[in-house]
Amino acid sequence: MHEVGIMESALALVQRHADERGASCVHRVVLRVGALSGVDPDSLRFAFEVVARGTRAEGATLVLDLVPTLVYCSSCRCEFAGDRGAIFTCPQCGDLCGEIRSGRELELSRIEMS
Amino acid sequence: MCVDCGCGKSVPFGVKVLSVLAPGLLRSSAPAPASAAAVDAGVMTVVPAPLTPLTVQVHTSLLAKNDDAAGRNRAQFVQRGMLALNLVSSPGAGKTTLLSRTVDEFGREHRCAVVVGDLETDNDARRLHRPHVPVAQITTGSACHLDADMVARGVGALDLTGVRVMFIENVGNLVCPASFDLGEAVRVVLLSATEGEDKPLKYPPIFKSAHVVLLTKIDVAEVLGFDCRAAIENIRRVAPQATLIPLSSRSGEGMAVWYDYLRQRLLPR
Repeated sequence: MHEVGIMESALALVQRHADERGASCVHRVVLRVGALSGVDPDSLRFAFEVVARGTRAEGATLVLDLVPTLVYCSSCRCEFAGDRGAIFTCPQCGDLCGEIRSGRELELSRIEMS
Repeated sequence: MCVDCGCGKSVPFGVKVLSVLAPGLLRSSAPAPASAAAVDAGVMTVVPAPLTPLTVQVHTSLLAKNDDAAGRNRAQFVQRGMLALNLVSSPGAGKTTLLSRTVDEFGREHRCAVVVGDLETDNDARRLHRPHVPVAQITTGSACHLDADMVARGVGALDLTGVRVMFIENVGNLVCPASFDLGEAVRVVLLSATEGEDKPLKYPPIFKSAHVVLLTKIDVAEVLGFDCRAAIENIRRVAPQATLIPLSSRSGEGMAVWYDYLRQRLLPR
């Protein structure tokens, strides 16, 4: 629901970087979006189209690098991919694990412009 | 007036729009360095655009602004010795009823304050208002969650003298508040017996971010055919990191466990 606000933040950063480098056109914007970040990739794409309109990023390609969830098991001291639904069970010992090591990312990672 | 022919038409003087700066800057409050320099020198200089595409690695959090404000809130809470809790749930899960009873009972023992967020109305603030409880209502208009700046404004409006516990009642929503740190020490997620037992499976991000999950309205669970055991099992599987407390704000069952939890988390004076 708040994807438009998130995208406004992203494009404000893009504009600032374009200003600093005197770029007139933004070709590609790459975001890292964690599986547990609470934002929906399709809504982000829709928000990008709306928010980029009339800016140097209009028509740019939006790339969403989806970051999988990485979970830590404190019993086995191991990390494992938590990409199967909402329940994270250690593949080695079967414990339920709640320590999320990655998957909450929501960041602007790269801009291509000229 | 036109300086060329005296026609009387008003024309812009000494201003050119640089294509490189034009569209995006209409929204920007910061003046462009190139145009400022040009005004000073009395001539326009065009920022040369790079000929080859340029790739810039950024790696900046899109929530950086909120996270900075949350950090300031957190520092303020710690410095004042206040335990701050962010209460999150679907609309109608019983956040306000829980807080009403909590400030009436626990609040007699330790001074509490409340910041409550809703899209509209100050109904919740009025429901929570007591002579011994400072309450601030934040109306978000259309925003689906509280952010750290709103909380800072709400907290700033309160008399915090002697306050040991700051409850932040978030906008009823199980999705968006998961992304917004408010500076709280404890995130409390409520699931009520009037909802589905499988809600933790459907909305994992918020439950996975919880320090405490309160299973509320357990006094009516049986009547509603709500399977408490299944709900508890789902909470434990999705949020094994969280402390789970089943309770009823109406009958009072489980409230002592909730107050014990709060007492354990109080900051030393």
